[in-house]
Amino acid sequence: MRLGAMLGDILPSLFRAPVTELYPFTRREPPTRLRGLLHWDRESCTGCGMCATDCPSQAIELFTYDKKAKRFVFELHVDRCTFCGQCAVSCRQGSLALTKGNWELAAFDRGTLDLHFGEKEDVDRVLRGDLPQAAPTAEPAGG
Amino acid sequence: MDTVRNFFALVLFPSGLFLLAASLIYEWVDRKLLAQFQNRIGPRWFQPFADVVKLLSKEEVVPRGGSSALFLGLPVIGLAAALTAALYVPLAGLAPSFSFTGDLIVTIYLLSVLTLCMGLAGSNTIGRFSLVGATRTLTQLFSYEAPFLLALLGPALVAGSWQISEISQYAQSHWLILTQPIGFIVAVIGLMGKLELPPFDAPEAETEIVAGALTEYSGRGLALFRLGKGVEMVIGLTLVAAFFLGGVATPLLFLVKTLGLLVVVAGLQALLARLRIDQTVGLWWRYGVLLVFVQWLLIVVLREVRL
Amino acid sequence: MEPRSETERFTVPIGPQHPALKEPGHFRISVEGEIVTQAAVRLGYAHRGIEKGAEGRNWIRNQYLVERICGICSHIHATAYCLGVERLAKVEVPPRAQVIRVLVAELERIHSHLLWIGVAGHEAGFDTLFMYSWRDREAIMDVLEALTGNRVNYSANVLGGVKCDVDDALRDTILRTVDGLEKRTEHYLRVVTTDALFLQRTRGIGVMTRAQAEVLGAVGPTARASGVERDVRVEAPYAAYPSFPVRIVTDTRGDLEARVVVRVRELFECYRLVREILDHMPPGELHGRMPRRIPEGETISRVEAPRGELFYFLKSNGSDTPERVRVRTPTVCNMTSVVRLVVGHQLADVPMILAGIDPCFSCNDRVIDVERKGRAAEQWTWEQLRAYGVDTYHGHRP
Repeated sequence: MRLGAMLGDILPSLFRAPVTELYPFTRREPPTRLRGLLHWDRESCTGCGMCATDCPSQAIELFTYDKKAKRFVFELHVDRCTFCGQCAVSCRQGSLALTKGNWELAAFDRGTLDLHFGEKEDVDRVLRGDLPQAAPTAEPAGG
Repeated sequence: MDTVRNFFALVLFPSGLFLLAASLIYEWVDRKLLAQFQNRIGPRWFQPFADVVKLLSKEEVVPRGGSSALFLGLPVIGLAAALTAALYVPLAGLAPSFSFTGDLIVTIYLLSVLTLCMGLAGSNTIGRFSLVGATRTLTQLFSYEAPFLLALLGPALVAGSWQISEISQYAQSHWLILTQPIGFIVAVIGLMGKLELPPFDAPEAETEIVAGALTEYSGRGLALFRLGKGVEMVIGLTLVAAFFLGGVATPLLFLVKTLGLLVVVAGLQALLARLRIDQTVGLWWRYGVLLVFVQWLLIVVLREVRL
Repeated sequence: MEPRSETERFTVPIGPQHPALKEPGHFRISVEGEIVTQAAVRLGYAHRGIEKGAEGRNWIRNQYLVERICGICSHIHATAYCLGVERLAKVEVPPRAQVIRVLVAELERIHSHLLWIGVAGHEAGFDTLFMYSWRDREAIMDVLEALTGNRVNYSANVLGGVKCDVDDALRDTILRTVDGLEKRTEHYLRVVTTDALFLQRTRGIGVMTRAQAEVLGAVGPTARASGVERDVRVEAPYAAYPSFPVRIVTDTRGDLEARVVVRVRELFECYRLVREILDHMPPGELHGRMPRRIPEGETISRVEAPRGELFYFLKSNGSDTPERVRVRTPTVCNMTSVVRLVVGHQLADVPMILAGIDPCFSCNDRVIDVERKGRAAEQWTWEQLRAYGVDTYHGHRP
């Protein structure tokens, strides 16, 4: 039974710098696998829509204007995204990846958190409300 | 002329505004030291001041069920008592503004008036947490008061006076921490009990009874009580430093000694876990009183031997 | 409703908003002076309808829903769910994936126990222990972030395996972190067993005998501290635990100190397991192929969460959404022990005894049916449910 078993901790701390990091004045290098903002590769996407079906928070909407010509609009609701990474796993083409570059995603205005990717005229059509028919539902995998 | 001097002493310096500012600074130093012991940063220098400003700007909610006159008046009385107690201690290393025989007892009891006000404020309500907290505050008051007073009377005994200024003068040439180490330890720990600092913060145990006696307080009342506690801390540190650490002859010595004592108090706060209220009472009435009596015995015996 | 008696009944409400509780729950503690005479608990403040929500989402999306039942034990919820679904679909998970699942589960257990040491210290008024143990916990969270990509809600699992692999650099980081944490844990073991004031708050408080633990149905470290040798990783090993056997940590005293010591000693066991796993990683793929429609059937899944036995019941009707997901978390089992144990103790011991079971209120809010003798089963409508839950407050005494 001792009085003050943590003396060995608190006494040296008096002469050491605090362990707190002063964010945002100092920023740490994010780890390689950090799940940050989603990145969509237009070239490899086939418009199957599995990402939208499997997203737990319905953060992805895929609008297909012309599947053969790969005229898609990929809408990402960043405020709904939970950064789980399921979309990247569900995509058979590997078009999706959660990048470590952009992880400071807080915003004051919700509007800035609705991102649209695609050809400019397609994106404009979506923003005007001129949507194509419903995005194709995912076909169940065989087996 | 006398009235002007009294007014100046009470409202501006050394009591009043100067003491309130000093109490905010000491509170900051205490929190910063505690943070340093815990390996973290702690608040910035203006945090206690910002806390007071924030509290004063908030609406004061008077709960139903108690006397609202008491609710509003007790913080004022408590702070007034604490500020008055400062007139008799050598604050800032200067001679006390007022001095008379027996003012040691008066000072200690003025400080107790603050604790009593907090206890009454907690009882003046139908809220559960306040009632439990008030009981604990008053229980703790009864348990540490006697040993603390007796420990401070040790220097009074050897100085042959009950006047703080005379004891302080005597202490300047005799470092009583060396001749009365037990009394010093009891005085420091008694000070922590008086200020309800961990490990004696059962009356305001955050994880058990929210905020103890002050649970129902918000806004101005809470600000005044907190200021009162801060003032009490400065006065308590001054007393202990003046008696045991060789007096506070100059402002610089005052600063060095009281801050040094604060380092020790902050270290004890960081080191020790909270005691339950029954364990506090048991500790004081068993060991505290015993140690103080041993100390007194030693003083008396040594005086006889020397004579 | 308690009958009034001659002695004055003084009730202290703890919760749903209280600094002692990190999550909402309501305890009505009747005290005389400082001694507790009676206690009652009311839960349900964190009920979110997860089981119902699971019925409207497909099997893949549900992984992430069940992961968020609890923040501290999120991986083990996802693991239990995935194990159940894989059993229904009769899919063989590659060994490397199972091993990585166990690795993340043990790292999560380390994180949870370090967090709990801090919380126990804070409830005892020992803030220094809280600050230092949480400082050391940051090391484990950094490791988990490097391994999985997130500090909380790791999402390491997929149906059929795992998402993330362990390479050599990561292996070295983990081993280094575990070495550092082991030294700190030895220090904490010394602190909790020798610090006089902390012991005054934990030794001899909240004693639960072995018989009581068995009757009250306690699970996890709470039961193991009373000598009950129950650990799902040993009784019914799942995932990779058959290859990496676990040694049960028990204590016989059954008081709060025993519960603290059991959790600290379990940390050492976790470190040993992590080292062994990293030394014997089988090669192979990270996940098997999983159908989207799970065949019809029912299954159960039992795993050892940091707090005790976690139990899942999954029922499939052959489609791509589950028919029923039922979760039984360990805190539900341990909660009754709190209500029983606080009687006779001081009011100041109540938060400590509550912290001693490592409560996770957000885990434990489910709708539980209690069958009463002689009454037929009934089904409540939305209005009845609302009347029971919300409208009772209109008649509630202030």
